Amino acid sequence: MSARSVHLQRASVSLLKYAVLVAGGLVMLAPFIWMVSSSLMMPREILARPLVWFPEDPRFSNYAALSHAVSFGRMYLNSLIVTVATTLGILLSSSLAGFGFSKFRFPGRDVLFVMVLATMMIPFFVVLIPVFYIVHLLGWVNSYLGLIVPNLVTAFGIFLARQYMLGIPDELLDAARIDGASELGIYWRIMVPLSGPVLSALAILAFVYQWNNFLWPLVVIRSDSLATVPIGLNSLRIYASSPDVVNLQMAGATLAIIPVIAVFLLLQRYFVQGIAMTGLKG
Amino acid sequence: MSYSVARGKLAEGVLERIPVRRRHALAGYMFIAPALVFLFVFALLPFLFTIYVSLHDWNMLTPIPTMPFVGLSNYTYLITQDPLFWQTFVNTVEFALGDVVISTSLGLAVALLLNTRVRLRGLWRAVYFMPYVTSSIAISIVWANIYNPSYGLLDGVFQLLNLPSQPFLSSPGQALISVIIVSVWHGLGYYMVIFLAGLQNIPAELYEAAKVDGAGAWHRFRFVTVPGLRPTLLFVVVVSTLSSLQVFDLTYVLTNGGPVNATNTLVLYMYNTAFNFLKMGRATAMAVLLFIVIFGMTLVQLRLLRERE
Repeated sequence: MSARSVHLQRASVSLLKYAVLVAGGLVMLAPFIWMVSSSLMMPREILARPLVWFPEDPRFSNYAALSHAVSFGRMYLNSLIVTVATTLGILLSSSLAGFGFSKFRFPGRDVLFVMVLATMMIPFFVVLIPVFYIVHLLGWVNSYLGLIVPNLVTAFGIFLARQYMLGIPDELLDAARIDGASELGIYWRIMVPLSGPVLSALAILAFVYQWNNFLWPLVVIRSDSLATVPIGLNSLRIYASSPDVVNLQMAGATLAIIPVIAVFLLLQRYFVQGIAMTGLKG
Repeated sequence: MSYSVARGKLAEGVLERIPVRRRHALAGYMFIAPALVFLFVFALLPFLFTIYVSLHDWNMLTPIPTMPFVGLSNYTYLITQDPLFWQTFVNTVEFALGDVVISTSLGLAVALLLNTRVRLRGLWRAVYFMPYVTSSIAISIVWANIYNPSYGLLDGVFQLLNLPSQPFLSSPGQALISVIIVSVWHGLGYYMVIFLAGLQNIPAELYEAAKVDGAGAWHRFRFVTVPGLRPTLLFVVVVSTLSSLQVFDLTYVLTNGGPVNATNTLVLYMYNTAFNFLKMGRATAMAVLLFIVIFGMTLVQLRLLRERE
């Protein structure tokens, strides 16, 4: 083969590679583009054939009409309260228990840790009915407490924190003990700062999971004033199900999705690192 | 261990009278206690309670002590007398099989592409990963409209390409595959990121050594990439199977199990049995059965993929 044909072959392989990436990328993006575009259309533009890609005259009033149907501000606030509270709880409980399991020796430690691993194998749907009943007995149905408290601790978080903390050298802790640091002080001044990577990975995973959580709020929430974003969207879907209000559904979906994508694009590096990390640890 | 070193420096106090080793153990218990209490109340106890309820007849309204014990009849009813249970079971397995195979292979394909010398890698990664961070409910609403046979985006595109209109979600024959496609679109970026991390974990020296030995691109892939990626593949297959057997959000919003139960899946059926029909005994029995399937599948996969190492 001549140098020129090798060169040509390389160029065509590279062209093919980009063609595949672009085609796949368009498939990934098209639903989002159509969502935003049709949220600004008149119903007859959505129903039109041949297909209309973009509205002739973007109707931002669809968003005003949406605000009469559902209170997005309230939904965002509810989602934020619930997600921040559970994420903080998961960070605190996982780091405390991770420290206990990785840096202390006590009778029964390994048995207890195996039990934590065993609960990691229990998917949420298996315990849905009893957890709902317990929350009902506690009087927390249809309340923030009911939304938040059952999710404050995850076995996965404890596992992840413990694995990471095993790698922090004992000498550091011993040195701090010699200097008279309390165990709580060691936790707060040494373990937490040195566990930055694992805790930020955990924070991102917990945040995304809780923000998008649907099944549990669906069961535990009864009133619109406590609806999180997914619950509000679900009632919007039922409320606006006829073709002449599809634009409202799309406006609702846009309001739910765009801020999350903005946050993701800003913090992309941390998202990717966090997920890669859990993949390798698991 | 250096408790003895630490002991010498400790200030005198009440605590000082407790032996250091025991105090150390006590601190350990204190750190794990809050988490263990929560796991007990919201995971372990409910798990045992699920098994207990599955042997009873309960509507959640009558007090626990008065619920009648029915032995295994909830299980035998589901297995021998409830065709819908079997249909949802088959749907769930079909969904999981399609979802796992397609998302895993597409995720791997994109990761392999992005692992070559490619411009704007960060941008591509963001584009493919983006759906994963968005709410499954929001994207299901969007996709339900995309699939709409009269005004949907897909129908419009089909018309531009002179293809016949398709019923998608409204036909029993196409509904399940249509839901699988949404699931793949939503989740593939997650697997891509994990595969990319796995690929980058394979030492570059191995590739260079193979090159020096005269291995071509295919041989480098077969004898360096594939074995190096095995632990990642194991993780991805186990995790994706676990999550797709539990599918709920997509089938709830896209089709609510229809048409004629063509996309009714086990967790959705369990949810309806429990919270619409208040048959807690039957619903918990379903939960236990699906749990056994998930647990068994995970064990089999771990064994199969480990053996080949």
